[in-house]
Amino acid sequence: MADAALELLNCSYHYPGGVRALEGVTCLVERGSWTALVGQNGSGKSTLAKLCNGLLRPQEGQVRVMGDPVGDRSVGDMARHVGYLFQNPDHQLFASTVRDEIKFGLRNLGFAPADREERLREALTAFGLDAYVDHPPAVLGFGLRRQVTLASLFALRPPVLILDEPTTGLDWGRATLVLERLRALQLRGHTIVFITHQMALVADWADRVLVLHRGQLLADGHPGSIFARTDVMEQASLAPPPITELAQRLSHIGLPSDATNVDALLRSYIALLPQAEEEAS
Amino acid sequence: MAFVFASFALLLLNDQPLLMLGYLLATHAVLRTAGIPWSRIGWLWRRMWAVSLTILLLWPLFYAVGEPVLIEWWRIRVTLPSLLEGLTSALRVDALAFAVFVLLVSTDQTRLVQGLVKLGLPFEWGLSIAIALRYLPLLDGTYQTITDAQRARGWSPERSTLFERARAYVPTLVALVIAALRLSDSLTRALAARGFRPGHPRTSRRPLHMQRGDWFALAVSVVLLATAILLRYVEL
Repeated sequence: MADAALELLNCSYHYPGGVRALEGVTCLVERGSWTALVGQNGSGKSTLAKLCNGLLRPQEGQVRVMGDPVGDRSVGDMARHVGYLFQNPDHQLFASTVRDEIKFGLRNLGFAPADREERLREALTAFGLDAYVDHPPAVLGFGLRRQVTLASLFALRPPVLILDEPTTGLDWGRATLVLERLRALQLRGHTIVFITHQMALVADWADRVLVLHRGQLLADGHPGSIFARTDVMEQASLAPPPITELAQRLSHIGLPSDATNVDALLRSYIALLPQAEEEAS
Repeated sequence: MAFVFASFALLLLNDQPLLMLGYLLATHAVLRTAGIPWSRIGWLWRRMWAVSLTILLLWPLFYAVGEPVLIEWWRIRVTLPSLLEGLTSALRVDALAFAVFVLLVSTDQTRLVQGLVKLGLPFEWGLSIAIALRYLPLLDGTYQTITDAQRARGWSPERSTLFERARAYVPTLVALVIAALRLSDSLTRALAARGFRPGHPRTSRRPLHMQRGDWFALAVSVVLLATAILLRYVEL
């Protein structure tokens, strides 16, 4: 499909030893969308993400990125198209300065020196790292280390960014900064795929949710409609965000059970008030 | 443990390729009898074959002694005795590895360390060995993840020269060392938080005693050791 950033067609992946991580998964992530990938631990989220950048190859099925099959393309080649943020920042940081850490990927992908400098500056500013440019990233606090890894990915500006729990361990301020930067990228046309266990973040930021359960795609849809499906939520051991839970409990008075934020719930509530009815009539 | 010592004596004191081969076959039989799957045995062979092949190829080139000469070209001279010695050394390394492998797959790590402590090893050392053994697979997994993380940023270790290739691994090895240091630091704090104090006497919940199986294993080990000495020093 022309508008698809990622397409998985009947993909299966079994780890050595027989662990069935994915079984016949077919799904599509639209270009410029913000898609949340949710499910229990071991449901296949990270495996699915790794199929998209060539770190793993499906034993069955096909993966297409921006319309082209991944096939035998190297992970290095795929890095131009799909950026992948690993869960633990310590699995990436090695350089003696934040500057070198951010430039590492840019050098690998062969960006010109002037381009590297420009991207470095933008990434440092975007993640508030200007003051740490000459610091060794490994000795920074967890939040800053996480920001350095995000800045490294941000500098590459791949069309698709897959982020494995990017806000875990971050305080509210840093998490919001990260999410706002990702939103800015989305508005510039980048596709965001976000692996998370925090349904409140899914409700606030994602426009689509893929629910995985035991290696299979259990549900695919708008966050509100997924949260409203109690059978799916129970099977995948997910709890809707508090505001959706409140809306579900108040659905007997006519409130929509798929509200994902306070504003939407409030608007629905106001519309139910007698005064609103009178004004409407 | 006695089995490993006896095996080492047998393998290091003798230099017959058939003995090495026989020992390897025997350990494979023991492992299979104990229900160790071929995939796990293959795991060790996958790590050993490159070392064995290197020894097998380099030994005859650097230690060309005796007759008959099999190959003679320019400065390269390969003789049958040197080739056999290379084969013996390669098989010896494999056999030594399998001796340790038999110990590791047949003995619970905690019991192994308890045994060492019972033999007089300071408890702190025993704990260090136990932790090191337990964290080896974890470090292996961490290394794989680090490699994936760097590859996802376009890193590629394929280079033309050996030096360039070695340099290319700096990003993964430095990240591994940092991750290992962080892990050891948090582990140290976790141990201290649970009352671990080196140098202080401690009680043992399950003191070890020799069982019938232990005596049997000890007897087998003594026989192995005696055989090793006999084969090496006594003309039969």
